[in-house]
Amino acid sequence: MMLLGPLLETMLAGQFVCAITYEELFAKLQDDEVRERIDEYLKPLNRRLAANHDHSVYFLAYRDIDDPARAHLKQQLAVVMSSLLPLLEWLAYVQEAMGSDAVLSADDTLKLQELIVKTEDNPSLRQRLQDLANDKFFGSSADSVDAQAKQIARRLVEHGYLIQPHGHRLYFTVTGKIDYLLDLVRFIRDEENIPLDDSPRQTELL
Amino acid sequence: MAKFNDNKHHVSNLFEVGTERLKLIGDNAKLLMQGYLAGGIDPSTVSERTLRRLISARVLYQPDDSQALKLRHPVTQLVAALVTDESRRAIHADIADKLMSIHSFVEGLREAQRTGDSLRVDSQMLRIDEAVYDLTSQFEEAIFSLWHRLNSNFGFVNNLSDKIRENNRAQQQINRLIDGLSLIDFDELIELAANNPALRKILVTRLQQQMSAHQGSLLEVQKRLVELMTRFREQQERSLLVLNMVGFLREHPSFMVGDYSYRSQVPTLVNYAAPIVPAAAVALDKPEQQPELVNLVHTLYRELAIKAKTEVVSVTAAAVNISAQQQVVEARQQQLKEDAMRYFIHVCEAIQPPSALVFLVEQQLQWSPEVWLFQVLAEYNTLPRHEQQLFSLTRAERQESRFNHLQIIEDIEVRYQAA
Repeated sequence: MMLLGPLLETMLAGQFVCAITYEELFAKLQDDEVRERIDEYLKPLNRRLAANHDHSVYFLAYRDIDDPARAHLKQQLAVVMSSLLPLLEWLAYVQEAMGSDAVLSADDTLKLQELIVKTEDNPSLRQRLQDLANDKFFGSSADSVDAQAKQIARRLVEHGYLIQPHGHRLYFTVTGKIDYLLDLVRFIRDEENIPLDDSPRQTELL
Repeated sequence: MAKFNDNKHHVSNLFEVGTERLKLIGDNAKLLMQGYLAGGIDPSTVSERTLRRLISARVLYQPDDSQALKLRHPVTQLVAALVTDESRRAIHADIADKLMSIHSFVEGLREAQRTGDSLRVDSQMLRIDEAVYDLTSQFEEAIFSLWHRLNSNFGFVNNLSDKIRENNRAQQQINRLIDGLSLIDFDELIELAANNPALRKILVTRLQQQMSAHQGSLLEVQKRLVELMTRFREQQERSLLVLNMVGFLREHPSFMVGDYSYRSQVPTLVNYAAPIVPAAAVALDKPEQQPELVNLVHTLYRELAIKAKTEVVSVTAAAVNISAQQQVVEARQQQLKEDAMRYFIHVCEAIQPPSALVFLVEQQLQWSPEVWLFQVLAEYNTLPRHEQQLFSLTRAERQESRFNHLQIIEDIEVRYQAA
């Protein structure tokens, strides 16, 4: 019998399980039988296993939506929405600062020192970082680029978007929760019919 | 025979012109390479004669008077192929033309066979062999070039949309190559080879082997290109999504999403349940768990003991803190005692010993008079009885009130009387 205790505990505690944060647990979840057993177990708790669309992140969802559940979901959605802009702006800022083609995605490595050096050399990036850090989601009142970048990274680790594999070294790994976030953004775009022009030409003009 | 001679003459003429022109290219190698890299040659840097020779040799051309000299396409391609400069190497796959020439060579071969011209049979055979080799080697070159570009991950373009365009171009090339491959109709070739075994070997067996290898290789490249393209597109989609959403949210600061949680079907992504932290307690009703329970209690006691010990340590730490304050007080006390002692010694030595208060003033001691007198009395009282007898204590007293017998000691005189 395979022990599922750690997996269940982690998931019940509200963690997002992906290949980066919980490698072993994620590997277990690749097994159909394990997933069925967990679902079976979660039934009386009114929970079920859920995943984002490409199954790179697992989390727990309500099985039946009763009123307390609705209230919780509503409140949670409000929290997510309030943090959406700072998070996306941070992603755009990192992409620009690092001169990279792609937005950070799961398993990418973020070298904070490199980011700080690039930001310090560029007044417009410095301003953007300052604005970001002052956002109440990141909540930094520091003046130096160094302290601002560190505070932002710390908050992102708290929220599960980044992990810091070695406590004393300033590099971070992006977790699968970022995939979840982008899936959510995609979903909101489609649901709310937000007219986002997807043609590459548009951004080139920008 | 006249025709053969003619042909021979033509070949020798070709040979001469060819070597001469290759030599010309060689002589001007540096100039041409600079032109290749810079995209043009400034006419003023080259002598008139060299210029004329290079133009007439179809190496350079001048689109119009105002522009720089440019290398002709075949020369550029030659350089690109020689140095495997993938960004500038074009792949030619005009298969139909090649097949046509193979056809005509075979017809020529037939004709020669009919007329019994063995010399021409041999030369036609050689040409067919060459044409087939040319055909396959062109595919090989093309595929090699594609692999090379794929493995460098389109490294020579650093912009994502350029990468996508480059990938598109490569895919189109593959499609053209595959189209070219499909032009090779082996049934036709078998028919063409008829019952000539040498021809059959060249046209069918060898070609088929090589073509199927190329086909496999091409499909693999195509698969990889499509994968890469998917990745590029995904990256592009993600960054566009982020950028556009940021733009939208900035323009609409009060934007709020619909209330997804009150829908009959709550979307999966939004349905993120509240955490439950599982807690458990000891099961006292299960006798079979008793050994573990006993163990638990024991470890608990041990932990409690350790905890108690650490608490003791912290208590003594507090005590140390208190005693530090006490030490200060004790030091003062000790000083007072010593001063009183000094007074007694002074009394023993002095001829006209001062009273206690006078001594206090004389020695500039900081004690308050009351404390001082009290200490002198206490000092006297702590002396052993036989030593007390060596001193006489005279108290200068005054009555506090007429109504009671309270006497206030105002000063003390101590006299030493040797036994």
